[in-house]
Amino acid sequence: MSLPGLELTQPSEERQFAAAPPSQIALSSGSEWRFEVAFGHIVRVKLLTGTAELFGTELAPLQTYTFSGTKGAIYTWHGCELEVSAGETGFMTLDGVTPTAGHGAGGCQSEYTAEETPMVEYSNVHFALEAMREEAQASSKDGPRVLLLGPENAGKTSLAKILTAYSTKVGRQPLVVNLDPTEGMLSVPGTLTATAFRTMLDIEEGWGSSPMSGPSPVPVKLPLVYSYPMANPLDAEGSVYRPVVSRLALSVTGRMAEDEDARETGIIVDTPGILSSGKPGSLELINHIVTEFAITTILVIGSERLYSAMVKQYDNKPSASATAAVFDERVSVVKLSKSGGCVDRDAAFLKATRESQIRSYFFGNPIPSTGTAALSLSSSSAVTLSPHAQQLDFAALSVYSYTVTSTEDEDEDEYDPSQLGTGESFLPGGGSEDYTPQESDHGTPLPGVGFSGDASNQTPPTNVPLKKILPPAPSTLANTLLAITHAPTTASPADVRDASIMGFLYVADVDADKGKIRVLAPVGGRVPTRAIIWAKRWPGEVVGLVG
Amino acid sequence: MSGLVSDEVAEDYKNSLEDLTTNDRFQISNLTVIAKENTEHAMAISRVLENHIRSTPPPQKLPALYVVDSIVKNVGTPYTLFLGRNMYQTFMNAYSLVDQQTRRKLDEMLRTWKEPVPGSLDTRPVFPPDVTRNIESALIKARTAILENQKSRQPDMLRPRGVVTPTGWANSPTPPGMRPNQPTAGNGAGLSTSTPPYGHRPDVQLESLNRDLEALIASARNDFANSPFNPTSQQRLKALLDLQRILQNQQLPPDQLKAVRDQLATYAIPPAPVQNPAPAPPAPVPTPPTLPASQPLSQLLNSETLAGLLKATAGNQQPTPPPQFPTIPQMPTTSTPQPAENPLIAALRLRGLLPSASAPPSLASGTPPMGGSLPFMIPGQLQSTPPASTPQASTPSSSTVPMNTASMKIPRITLVVSLYEAKPNRCGTCGRRFPATDEGREKKARHLDWHFKTNQRMADATKRAQTRSWYVDERDWIKSREPSDDQNPEDTGATAEGAAGADGSASKQGPPKPWIRAPNEATLRNTPCPICQEQFESTWSEDVQDWIWQDAAKVGNRVYHASCYAEVTKDGPAPRASTPQARTGTPDSILGKRKAEGTESPGHKVRVKTEP
Repeated sequence: MSLPGLELTQPSEERQFAAAPPSQIALSSGSEWRFEVAFGHIVRVKLLTGTAELFGTELAPLQTYTFSGTKGAIYTWHGCELEVSAGETGFMTLDGVTPTAGHGAGGCQSEYTAEETPMVEYSNVHFALEAMREEAQASSKDGPRVLLLGPENAGKTSLAKILTAYSTKVGRQPLVVNLDPTEGMLSVPGTLTATAFRTMLDIEEGWGSSPMSGPSPVPVKLPLVYSYPMANPLDAEGSVYRPVVSRLALSVTGRMAEDEDARETGIIVDTPGILSSGKPGSLELINHIVTEFAITTILVIGSERLYSAMVKQYDNKPSASATAAVFDERVSVVKLSKSGGCVDRDAAFLKATRESQIRSYFFGNPIPSTGTAALSLSSSSAVTLSPHAQQLDFAALSVYSYTVTSTEDEDEDEYDPSQLGTGESFLPGGGSEDYTPQESDHGTPLPGVGFSGDASNQTPPTNVPLKKILPPAPSTLANTLLAITHAPTTASPADVRDASIMGFLYVADVDADKGKIRVLAPVGGRVPTRAIIWAKRWPGEVVGLVG
Repeated sequence: MSGLVSDEVAEDYKNSLEDLTTNDRFQISNLTVIAKENTEHAMAISRVLENHIRSTPPPQKLPALYVVDSIVKNVGTPYTLFLGRNMYQTFMNAYSLVDQQTRRKLDEMLRTWKEPVPGSLDTRPVFPPDVTRNIESALIKARTAILENQKSRQPDMLRPRGVVTPTGWANSPTPPGMRPNQPTAGNGAGLSTSTPPYGHRPDVQLESLNRDLEALIASARNDFANSPFNPTSQQRLKALLDLQRILQNQQLPPDQLKAVRDQLATYAIPPAPVQNPAPAPPAPVPTPPTLPASQPLSQLLNSETLAGLLKATAGNQQPTPPPQFPTIPQMPTTSTPQPAENPLIAALRLRGLLPSASAPPSLASGTPPMGGSLPFMIPGQLQSTPPASTPQASTPSSSTVPMNTASMKIPRITLVVSLYEAKPNRCGTCGRRFPATDEGREKKARHLDWHFKTNQRMADATKRAQTRSWYVDERDWIKSREPSDDQNPEDTGATAEGAAGADGSASKQGPPKPWIRAPNEATLRNTPCPICQEQFESTWSEDVQDWIWQDAAKVGNRVYHASCYAEVTKDGPAPRASTPQARTGTPDSILGKRKAEGTESPGHKVRVKTEP
């Protein structure tokens, strides 16, 4: 029942048809093998001897792991031998696009062995956190709340994975919070999520998978998802980001209060790199996060400047926790080295990553580790999902859209980290010349100003830039995502903004004449009658999800 | 060590011992006198002595052992008891690290231990025979292995003059002839004749393997003692101890043992290159001493004995914990990149056991200065628990790691144990680790059950469509607890939790609603409800894992909407729809049937779905 046309827009630089022969890579202890695999190409990795871990998650011996469209590093504490081979790519070429294979082992775009890694530091972070957790276990104190800061591509998410994997490995259950809307964690981009990790992370799929109707070879994780359909937390002066973060923090705190394992282990918060870019307003947002989550430990990766700013502001100050005074809980700011393996991910790669996240939300991960797919005993996470296509009457839906203008224009669908630092901030008084007046000249809604003055909504003057879209259905709905909230259709814009998300619809078609839209829903059955947030600006248009 | 006094004495004694750097008769007698005067602290003093011998640099081991010798001969009982307990380790550690000359002196000393104290009325030997016998047999085995390969070098081993312990009492009797295989020098001919049996018996193999290990461990421990903060020595020691544990815990077939052993021997003794003109080392030529069958290593490797070892080991492990040393079970690399280097060597090097890739050659040339300590294989006691292994095996506490930038830079390799070796029992499917305790085994068993069931379910699942579940809301998320794959087998399906959470609303609806499985025959399936004349809708039920008709009841051989039937038969109030349904195509039922859908549970109505 799965729908055809799983094509990907691969960043294809070159064509190479000969599959690389399996090659063996011997790693000495304390070194790592870094590899990049293009989208559409498959690399299989097998651990022959020794021990190895991918971002903290240990590889099982003699199991074949499949990687596609990823950049990763396999580290070994004890030394190991890996076998790397190219996977058959035939089934990925339905659309005639030839996957690109690099020249590296197994057809990796790039792969090499690195002796110098910051793993000693990263493991020490874990050990230090463990010490705090042991303390929390022994007292009624909460476990450490860790905030990861650093510029784009500094390895924040990788470190978050390492810390998460290590703590689950020793039997803890961290609450992992992703505040980076550009990348989804266990969800699609454009979301902020929180998840308790008890079971191991998925080697092949990064964080793993959210629940499905069927079984999963790696235990699924249960995320709490909020919609933030913008790439930049600073949009609208953070007036949207901030309350969503607060709400998320509230839920996480609630979980901490009730879940003893989570309380002891604490929180790991991953952030978008833009918060560490020193842009106007970013320090305020950091402060907001530090306060809301009562952060105790701030890890700064690869930015001296931010580190010194953080030390100045937070180091050795009491945490924002209610019990901070009781336990004399103080914030520590720690600087960590950036891994030499951090590579800049270009816009095309990021876009492909986002598309693949969205695709796997609806369709699962159709890349089997072996020919026999799920029947094999491999640790493959190949699960094919069957979303349901259906027609919806647009008038029956209550779809909201953020009216915030981005720092980026509509024509700029692609998120380009390199452009975020060019200081095009529109924030009033934000240091960038005369941008604000210009914006009003354009007649676009001002950020932060309530344009939800819909008569139907008894909107209090809360300045929520959320506006209900009335029929007819805009044609721009096509190829975008709709986030179904848990909020009732009658909820106020603020409630809709703060509501957690049930799931996503993908709009395949808009029939403006009949007032119908054709959507792809993850689950069969009637689409729940809830308020819906249109993820118009982020992750934006995803073409070709449905053939 | 009871009380402060004992500690003080021990401390004093330790300090005095540390001053003893040469074979100084005066000092030794002095230390003996102190020991004699403090017999009530014999235990503490014995520990101090043992620790000192273990940690002191090799050149100072002999004087320290002479102190022991002097004490046991002059003072006697409490000390022989306390010192005898660990004498094997103490002696062998020292023996493995000192040079050839010193070994001879140790041999001499050992011999006197088997005799009664000279001039004493007591006819019993200095140490109980079982103490000396262990050491002796270990030495014999080690030596025969070497001698076998070095008959030509007998002269080196010959020791024409007996070395006397400097304490004066050691006018030990001449070697008694009571033991034909006595490991005395000059007995070379006898030794070499005793060689062949060894190496063919599995238990001997195991022993010699343990001997190898013991020697390596001893040297590693010495390194560690000399530089406790050097991570590589820590790591090496730990790795060796792990390996030792595996060997002690596992029953391995002889040929596999041999494979491991030969490789270990190759590590201990640099291989092939040695054959080139070594500058007449006084020490044994480092050919693998355990090569009774003269089987080439490469042949051993290629015969997949290691693969077999892996399998056997894995097979043995189903109920028992797997080896702690991750390198060993994964040896089936029959195709090594460089034929010159066998995988174990490579693995050992990777783990930091060998200093660097260039180590073997340098070791080869460096053998003489090292006093030939490496080739000596020292028998291990299977039950022996090396003192150092206890702290290593237990999970180190991380409570000492402060969270600050400077602290992050300090390598704490020992703490990595908590991520790996502390849980040696590894799941072969997903790599998850379990502790080697009963609880860990139980958990692993449940975990494997989970894998099994999941695989089964996945095989089933390929036959039908699966979907992504809805995310849970805040309340459910806060209330939810992460399922684990090692808990109650009942809810091992982690997805069950998620799915239940997702349709949580459905399960919370109070009384179960009537439903039936959707019939398979097309006619029956297309037959509408006799009362309202509407078609039934098929929905997928997660609980039933089948297609069902909600709100349906079979009465006789006809299927009715349960609500219609209830309405008609008037034996129950029809629930009323509280939410208007977006069912534009269907005339709203006046009867308010099918209103069972008071909530928004997904899956009650499937509008655009085809039945498989």
